[in-house]
Amino acid sequence: MSMLQKGNPYLYVLPAVLFILIFFFGGLFQGLLQSFGITPYNKDLVFTTLAYQELLQSADFWQSLLLTFRVSFLSTMLSGLLGILFAFILFIMALKGYDSNTASLFYRIFQYPLVIPHLAAGYLFLLLLMQSGWISRIGYHFGWVEEIHHFPILVNDTFGWGMILTYTWKEAPFITLMIYPVLFRIHKSWYEVARLYGSNTRKFISNIAVPLILPAWLSSLFIVFAFTFSAFEIPYLLGVTYPRLLPVYSFELFTHGGWMERSQSLALNIILAFITAILGGLSYKISKRWLLNERRGWE
Amino acid sequence: MLLPSDFSLRAWEYVFSPSAGTWGAIGSSLCIACIVTLVNILICLPAANVIARVNFKGKIWVEGILYSPLIIPPFITVMGIHITFIHLGLTETILGVILAHIAPTLPYMLRALVISYQTLGFSWEEQAKMLGAGTLNRLRFVLLPHLLPGIVAGSSLTLLVSLSQYLITFLIGGGQVVTLPIILFPFISGGDIAIGSAYTILFAGIALFSLWLMNSLLKRYYKTRILFIR
Repeated sequence: MSMLQKGNPYLYVLPAVLFILIFFFGGLFQGLLQSFGITPYNKDLVFTTLAYQELLQSADFWQSLLLTFRVSFLSTMLSGLLGILFAFILFIMALKGYDSNTASLFYRIFQYPLVIPHLAAGYLFLLLLMQSGWISRIGYHFGWVEEIHHFPILVNDTFGWGMILTYTWKEAPFITLMIYPVLFRIHKSWYEVARLYGSNTRKFISNIAVPLILPAWLSSLFIVFAFTFSAFEIPYLLGVTYPRLLPVYSFELFTHGGWMERSQSLALNIILAFITAILGGLSYKISKRWLLNERRGWE
Repeated sequence: MLLPSDFSLRAWEYVFSPSAGTWGAIGSSLCIACIVTLVNILICLPAANVIARVNFKGKIWVEGILYSPLIIPPFITVMGIHITFIHLGLTETILGVILAHIAPTLPYMLRALVISYQTLGFSWEEQAKMLGAGTLNRLRFVLLPHLLPGIVAGSSLTLLVSLSQYLITFLIGGGQVVTLPIILFPFISGGDIAIGSAYTILFAGIALFSLWLMNSLLKRYYKTRILFIR
């Protein structure tokens, strides 16, 4: 024990923990109570599961759930593939000994989508992809589409392509950022040893690099899935009025309805929180296992 | 058809006209983001200190609690607490919005500070103490210079996340606390495309500018310090 390690650690974490317990878990708990019909500051407390029953019986909910799942799944897969591709482009550049300026320039370019707020990114994709948007005009200009309105509907479409493409653009750099540091720690000497034993770049990547980054990649996929499953701004901008994604559905129940709709919205929130908490737990489990292996393997 | 045939500054004139209230929105956005950042630094510094360097019972629970806003969407908890905020008179106030912005941003600040503290360890502070440095001097010459990159990284992320909140600000602010995303939203959801675009550029520009400012301040700080040591 060091002399600076005196003092109660619980005291140090107390302010932050208290804040999150009161304002975050407090909110979650109150949402849970209200979803069961128990409203704080209201005398007549009747426990009821009516909100959940109505929600689970409505076709709207299942339609929304299905659409949300599809959009999240496709966004996660596409950004996962693109993210890993970017990371390997950077990695191969480093292996083949490109000058570090070019590599760091690429690294910085990949980071730009991360700092553009989601609302702004959503609007940029709206302007790009709508029927009178840039891509459609370019297509018309070069004669790929005969009429502007023949261009496929990609935003505010029922399949959700606009949302999927925006999320992919936003989250692929995030995945690159999560796995690149792991790749970066693979020593160049390993590559040289592998070459010495007759391996080539492709084999080196598939046999050594991919297994090493797999846990970090999987764990970041879960994070992206949980995020796209529960984010509001992009579906609100780029979705259609029916069926809506779950967070938008919840928002509309909360703001436009009466008390019954409000408790349905809170019940929907609890279901959302439950799904994302499970995904978060899985992500943590995977990254934890990786950390344990890491200690054995790397040093 | 591909490139516009004529240009006009109509949208920008509107954005910066007094009636649009853009300056006020930028002001309250930055004010909220800065206070949120300060509060985060204050409550995360001690927490990161022990999370990074001390093993204690229940640490995994503490970390689980503090990082949970990364996974469970914060708007869910804001909708739950909304009724209490109404009772306490916190809705439609800047204070209410600040309180609502802290939970979603805290994990980013904590993570950045924990990484900084992990690379610090205890030996530097002990050495300084051995050489007779008091608490204040240790803070100024050992702790702060080492933690500064972490503080800047955490503050940048906090600023960015706070600046881009729409839903939480809307739910608690009730349209009375007007931040940049609130003023921007009607234009980008089916409003005037030119004005929507101008606001989007302004919005992304302010986010990028705050990050750039933070990073260049950090770089300047280190340059002067290195010169000083020489």
